[in-house]
Amino acid sequence: MSAVVLPPFWSLVEAHGDELLAHARRMTDDQSAEDVLQDALLRALRAYPRLRHSDHLRAWLYRVTTTTALDLHRRRRREIPTEEPPAQPVEAEYDDGAFESLIAPLAPTARDALRLRFVDDLDYDRIAAELGTSPEAARQRVSTAVRTLRERVTA
Amino acid sequence: MTPLTESFLDRLASTAVQEGLADAVYTTLSTPLGRLLVAQGERGVLRVAFEEEPEDLTLAGVAAGVGPRIVRSDRELAATRDAISAYLEGDDDTLDLPVDLSLARGPFRRAVLEALHRDVHRGEVTTYGALAAEAGNPRAVRATGTACATNPVPIVVPCHRVLPASHKLGNYGGGPDRKRALLTLEGAPWRG
Repeated sequence: MSAVVLPPFWSLVEAHGDELLAHARRMTDDQSAEDVLQDALLRALRAYPRLRHSDHLRAWLYRVTTTTALDLHRRRRREIPTEEPPAQPVEAEYDDGAFESLIAPLAPTARDALRLRFVDDLDYDRIAAELGTSPEAARQRVSTAVRTLRERVTA
Repeated sequence: MTPLTESFLDRLASTAVQEGLADAVYTTLSTPLGRLLVAQGERGVLRVAFEEEPEDLTLAGVAAGVGPRIVRSDRELAATRDAISAYLEGDDDTLDLPVDLSLARGPFRRAVLEALHRDVHRGEVTTYGALAAEAGNPRAVRATGTACATNPVPIVVPCHRVLPASHKLGNYGGGPDRKRALLTLEGAPWRG
């Protein structure tokens, strides 16, 4: 049993399932969205008892769904070899760990904001939806995190 | 936004159960006693709640007792649903379901409910005093009453079969009408 009081998992599925499916559709396509969300919710269920607090559960489910969709994209790219190399290695920083090690010293909330902006490449409305904040607050969180990083790099 | 389909939710819940990811599964069903919520863990039925009890509070109680990974599935609980429906509709004379008394607080309350589940069968009644003795403490009549009043699995653990020494109806967590209906269904000897 966990020390924190977490709501019954199914209440989260019932409260946020429809918007998470819409999010999965935006991240993938109509055919894959349900499979992505199934996978994401099972991942979430697996991790659920280990959560250390019950704040921002909606944002957490968005993140798990985002990650699951990205994993699907990566898997597909590996499975379907193409003649040409991908035009833009958009996730190179993420894949080789450079981005993660760069942001590692930051607070978890700042890291989340940066990943959503620069790895997931979301706009501020969607970042706000994932973080459960206003778009303005999301923008501020990203810009503060970037400033902090810049100060660390130039210090 | 389109809501998730029933088949999506069924598939999610069944996979969760098969992979051992669910602390409990719940369902609701309509019966002659009204709508019941039934929650079940791997070892047996954890909770039966009457329709007056708010569903979110009931599930929060289950989560606090056995863990928060709770999913809803009619399909995974089909056998339990059928057994309860058949019993309450009078199609079946026995209701023999395993129970998990994790939500009963304290060893004495658990002992009372175990004795009741094991020993007091359909058509029989007992008294709070006799049940207290059965549970190992004949003087704990009042505590036996509390154990019955807080029974997390009414109907399955038959606290409706426990009467005051007068053999009048007495109290029932689900209200006297349900107690009367259950005892009538079972043909039990009591002084209405």
